[in-house]
Amino acid sequence: MTARDLLPILAFAAVVALAPLLVSSNVVLNFLVFTMIIALAAQGWNLLGGYGGQYSFGHAAFFGTGAYLTAILQVRYGMNAYPAFAAGIGLAALVGLAIGFLAFRSGLRGSYFALVTLAFAEVFRVLANASEVTGGAAGILIRLRADPANFQFAERGTFLWVALALVTLALVATLMLERSRLGAQLVAVRENEAAAQALGVDVLSVKLRTIALSAGMTGAAGGLYAQYFLYLDANIAYGTWISVEALLAPIVGGAGTVFGPVLGAVILHGLAEATKSIAGSIPGIDLVVFGIVLILVVRYPPRDLPGLLRRRRRP
Amino acid sequence: MSGMMIGRRGLMLASAAGLAAPRVAGAQAPAVKLGILQPVTGALSQDGEYGRLGAELAINEINASGGLRALGGARIEMVFGDARSNPEGGVAEVEKMQAEGVVAVVGGFASPICLAASQAASRYDLPYVVDVGVSDQIVSRGLTNTFRFGPGFGVVTQTALDNLVALNDAAGKPARTVVIVHEDGLFGSGMARLLNAELPKRGFEVLETIAHPTPARDMNNVALRIRALRPDLVIPSSYYAEFVLLSRTMQQQRIRPKGIYCVLNGAASNFRFVREFPDAANLVMDCNHWADPRKPKTAELRRAVEAQNRFWLYNTPLNYSAVMLVADALERAGRPDRAALVQALAATDGRFERHIMPYGATRFVNGQNQAGQPVNTQVQGGDIKVIFPRDFADAQPVFPVTG
Repeated sequence: MTARDLLPILAFAAVVALAPLLVSSNVVLNFLVFTMIIALAAQGWNLLGGYGGQYSFGHAAFFGTGAYLTAILQVRYGMNAYPAFAAGIGLAALVGLAIGFLAFRSGLRGSYFALVTLAFAEVFRVLANASEVTGGAAGILIRLRADPANFQFAERGTFLWVALALVTLALVATLMLERSRLGAQLVAVRENEAAAQALGVDVLSVKLRTIALSAGMTGAAGGLYAQYFLYLDANIAYGTWISVEALLAPIVGGAGTVFGPVLGAVILHGLAEATKSIAGSIPGIDLVVFGIVLILVVRYPPRDLPGLLRRRRRP
Repeated sequence: MSGMMIGRRGLMLASAAGLAAPRVAGAQAPAVKLGILQPVTGALSQDGEYGRLGAELAINEINASGGLRALGGARIEMVFGDARSNPEGGVAEVEKMQAEGVVAVVGGFASPICLAASQAASRYDLPYVVDVGVSDQIVSRGLTNTFRFGPGFGVVTQTALDNLVALNDAAGKPARTVVIVHEDGLFGSGMARLLNAELPKRGFEVLETIAHPTPARDMNNVALRIRALRPDLVIPSSYYAEFVLLSRTMQQQRIRPKGIYCVLNGAASNFRFVREFPDAANLVMDCNHWADPRKPKTAELRRAVEAQNRFWLYNTPLNYSAVMLVADALERAGRPDRAALVQALAATDGRFERHIMPYGATRFVNGQNQAGQPVNTQVQGGDIKVIFPRDFADAQPVFPVTG
């Protein structure tokens, strides 16, 4: 990996980082923060789903674990937000390993793997809803104390920088993975698992390492969500909405590419906001556009928007 | 369908504005912007629409009657935000309202939306008046900008238990045994735990607590279990569809306890249920938000709502009253200034009478109206009547149910 490879990532980071300096509108900044959180969750999905071909429908399990642990350690055990956030990422990675171990060891692939991950996320949702430590149905509320020492910031712009830093890290990590031995093995597993195995790739180990990375990344998005909105309940943390968001963005933006998830998140949410401001009086119109974009992307190859643009340029 | 409704409401708004226009033109006071936050897409869209309706009716009424007098007859301009049934949506809309320069935000409906949106508003010291959200956390966070006119969960459940005892005592204690049916998610589990702890202290025996998922497609097993246990009372904590299913299944299987007593139920105080299944709904009791039936304004508002072919739900009077509360505070503050409005809201007292809720003299402590309380309703002859407390009742309770 050379400095040249990092250039697009740094350029992207620089452009978004300028936003708080150029735009004073908190509407825009709030939108960017939320998009960054989704992009981070989606980047996690992209490692496993995009590069590894293991389509998970239950990344909420990791998002929720990261979010809940970040919140619970602060609220119930008085821990500082930063170590709590780190612990949330760690536990999400562990949960990823555990789910991966159970699913991959039994050789679950394709839709079976998707269903198992969906089931795990649902089980976590039900458990979080019933348990005392998560606040059960009433949810858990992180006390508002806007102080950088508490991982809370008075300015939305500051939070955007933090979220952007994490997304940039995730982009660099993805690029490193793409260029690494693990990345090559992962793609080999995606393209033909039996062939990869025949060539001596330890398929289980490759998948487990990837799901841990993927889960940790999505868990970090969960922790960010908790610190930003300061409130969680089972449907927010483990709801299907985040599983869907995490897989939609890479699918639209380009699964198995470094920039796919970020691009997808920006396109989908940007489009949604634009539609809302143009035809805001019709409730749900942005969701209609959301659906149409998805249908178009999936119906017409190359099945992602950047691919479509590339093809237009070079017919 | 909803597009059509907007058209009709837009027309109404326009005509109301037209009525008010000559007076406003004379005063030339700039309009005061008020943020109305409701979830009108997603799972909570029905509640959100009825909340918006209440806020609209209040704003139209204020504007048609000369605007805010202390502000030189300034009109109230509604800035509507769709919270899309989730906290992120609520926060995003509060940011937009802040950019529009609203003087306060009213609404939220669900507790998670209220929690997140009021917190976002507190960044700007923007007054936030919760319409429904009953979570006790909403007013216990020390946010000075957040007010709730209605009751919280603690008060509702306490009142529900007290009223149940009073109702039972007045009828000569016909009920001793109880079966609790609850949905296994959000508020149902918490409610069941609370009832299990409190009912025995009040002389009731809980025979069994039956949980069911949401959504549930069949209630036969639950109904059969109730038939086997033969309780005097059934206390359900479920959402709309599940409670409708349960009550219909019980009716089909001819299970007739001495009473069905709901707490914050999604259906028992809903005219849709009463209209569509009048037999199953008959004599079901609920402890919930409800408008004061003795105030003439309540009947007037209800006619206006029903003239639009819509049902009379508690969201409408609660939002109507919350907007009136803000208008009243604005009149007292004398200027559309946020800090002054927060002070005026906190100082609201019994002289605030333009609301239509069955509450006593308004008094805010830490943002919570101490007079906010639920009432007991009972479906009687195709109508929803208030049976408790006596001061506000427009019907006698039918309990125990016989035959």
